[in-house]
Amino acid sequence: MALDQLNDMVQRCQVLQDDNFKPEDYELFQTAGKACIEQGDSGLLLDIIKDEKNKAIVRSMGWNLLSPLVQVLLKKKDKSLPHCLDILTHLLEECSAKELLVGLLEQVEEAHPDTIADTICLLLQPLQTVLLKLGMKKASSVGMALSTLLSQVARLPVPYTEEQEQEDAYGLCRCCTALLVFVRPFVEEVETEQPKADAQDDELRTELLKFCMKSLREPLIEAQLKIDPDTPENPALRSFAVEVVTILWRIGEGLPDLLFRHLLKKKEEPGFLEEDVRYPKESLACLAYMLFVQHITVERFPAIYSPVFILQSNMEHINLLLSRTEESRLAKGLDLYEKSLVRVEDGSLPVELLELKIFFSVPGNLVKVMTLCPIQHLRTKGLSVFQLSIDKFDTEAKYKFFKCMLKTSNHAGVEGYIIKNIRNQIEHALKAGNGNPWFLGLHLMPLLRVVLSLPQGPETDLLQGLDRVMESLTLLRYLLIRDKEWENETGIWTELYKIEDYYLKPLRIGLNMSRAHYEAELKSIKENRRVKARELKENSPVCSVTVGNEKLPNMTPEMQLQVLNSALCTFDLMESVLVRIEELADVKIKP
Amino acid sequence: MAAEPTREWSDEQLKSDDLPKKDIIKFLQDNAANSFLAEHKLMGNIKNVAKTAKKEQLITAYNQLFESKRFKGTDPVEDITEQVKDVKVDDKPKEVKVDPVDEGPPKYTRSVLKKGDKVNFPKKGDTVSCWYTGTLEDGTVFDTNIPTAARKKKQAKPLSFKVGVGRVIRGWDEALLTMSKGETARLEIEPEWAYGKKGQPDSKIPPNAKLIFEVELVSID
Repeated sequence: MALDQLNDMVQRCQVLQDDNFKPEDYELFQTAGKACIEQGDSGLLLDIIKDEKNKAIVRSMGWNLLSPLVQVLLKKKDKSLPHCLDILTHLLEECSAKELLVGLLEQVEEAHPDTIADTICLLLQPLQTVLLKLGMKKASSVGMALSTLLSQVARLPVPYTEEQEQEDAYGLCRCCTALLVFVRPFVEEVETEQPKADAQDDELRTELLKFCMKSLREPLIEAQLKIDPDTPENPALRSFAVEVVTILWRIGEGLPDLLFRHLLKKKEEPGFLEEDVRYPKESLACLAYMLFVQHITVERFPAIYSPVFILQSNMEHINLLLSRTEESRLAKGLDLYEKSLVRVEDGSLPVELLELKIFFSVPGNLVKVMTLCPIQHLRTKGLSVFQLSIDKFDTEAKYKFFKCMLKTSNHAGVEGYIIKNIRNQIEHALKAGNGNPWFLGLHLMPLLRVVLSLPQGPETDLLQGLDRVMESLTLLRYLLIRDKEWENETGIWTELYKIEDYYLKPLRIGLNMSRAHYEAELKSIKENRRVKARELKENSPVCSVTVGNEKLPNMTPEMQLQVLNSALCTFDLMESVLVRIEELADVKIKP
Repeated sequence: MAAEPTREWSDEQLKSDDLPKKDIIKFLQDNAANSFLAEHKLMGNIKNVAKTAKKEQLITAYNQLFESKRFKGTDPVEDITEQVKDVKVDDKPKEVKVDPVDEGPPKYTRSVLKKGDKVNFPKKGDTVSCWYTGTLEDGTVFDTNIPTAARKKKQAKPLSFKVGVGRVIRGWDEALLTMSKGETARLEIEPEWAYGKKGQPDSKIPPNAKLIFEVELVSID
């Protein structure tokens, strides 16, 4: 039926001059052709299409058959598969490249989510053929094709584990590998061109640059790019990463220029692309990660830059990665920070660096990772990188950094950690030959005044600030024991009477108040236990707490008792150190 | 955070010629967040801002400030930088200012292989371009930017960087400043002025390595 219609239509059109076809003819050709393909008559359809007399018809209308052809080709097991392939090949030869391009990209764009990978892998080769046919005018078409392809690839889930990458259930790795084959001739063309040959090649270069930048953002920034030392071959996505960076080199985009560009004077780029569009920051951050952490093409990177400069440059990339919340980005940010720091010698970063805002934005974001990130291993890693960053500062820079962090971190745990670091620095400075003006004597006192402070006086929430208070007390006790009164290298003994006034006394009052409060609460709970238990059953609770969609049960009186008791234990702990300090101080004051 | 500032001028007052531009700028600079000022190009010396900004622009900025409430202290980053600024080292004792430690002789040697023009020497902060090859003492080439294949030669670019400002290892920074345009020199750099005791394992430079470079200074910009 459909075949007859098609034959009629074809015969009618064969005699028309100058491709003078009517819209109805197009429609008929498409519906009848589609029906033929779907009904398994593709063999006969192939004959019609190959008929020399029908050449003009096929050239004008052939591309309309792409959609049904792709549907059959995707099924793979259809018996008409070989015929359909032949039809496709024939269309690629006969039809206008521009129409084919539009038709093929339409197929890519309209691919069903489940068949994205198959569609892309099927159509890349035809697309390449068509684009190459466009000759010198292809740059913008290549760009359009790459952008469409990558947008579809970006919809595929990125494998998280090695097994997933091997299994490649959604086909992302297959697509990436196929894409590399797809861009190869275009890269070669740009590479072999004479410099500044003509605008066409520059346009093609720009399109390839866009492709690389887009690939770095999606999928590469999401991907695990680590290599397994036991397997000789690179996993698919790592190979893709290596190739993308290699393409950048080959099209004349040197990595130093790319990675340091935010530090260099912003030059206006020729062409219509804005700096941030041409070189998206996130892509550059991923590139820095691939080079400095994964050592991808590191052998081509000049080995003459100073490690401090590399660190300074990478801080922008690190900051961007750490300001996100996705595991893939945070992990890359932490790794990049770690690697950038490891290159630098301990105690060598000068205080001048702290005049750059970025040297506070990064620790600020790092603190967020350490304290708020729900992923345990990132929090742990965050802390170790934080310590590493402290170790790299010289003495004066450490001093300034500690002071700033105490004022800005707003987190008792972080503050406690900084105070512990201060104690270590003092301990180091007190050892023979290590004396320095920052953690002994004159400069130390202003820092200690920042440490030994209760922001709200006696009303400060001691439980909330537990980590900080405990570390502060431990530091004070350490100083009083380690630094003898007659040596007074730290100046603690001359400051002691002031410290008693502004720290120890308010702390003592606060401690007594808190203890009294919690004891009273404990007592009332014990007394009202039965009454309250009954009330709880009768009255619905005033509010409820949900964590991750899971409703937490109300606290039972037993739990409340437990909490209150543990608070009291904490106060005991605090008091024991406080008492020891008071004893040590008494020795000084009495005689 | 400080209390929000109140509107000092009505629309009529703003438009009237009695109110000089400088007063509006001063008010904005005193009260608006840095990011707000930057967006409206109002940072810097009041005189200069008055020269570049039109009265209408200032009125718009003034109104927007009260609409958006982006007053000083509302920028999260600004908060920190402000606090950082506050953290100044108090009672800086005078005796701390010691003269820079005498580091002894330079930790590199330079021998000229091909003379330069002896007229054009780079200054600190100039951008220089070089071809170079770096080798270890045993002759291993660890890095070069001189292309090998003839085909690639057309594309290769010399390495460019700002000299004398710490972007490259110290040996390079110091040595390049003594070279003139067109000169090719052999530099032997002690580890202290190269990658030190850590080396640079990523680039196959071992710890405590003395580095030998052949450098051609192509151009100075």
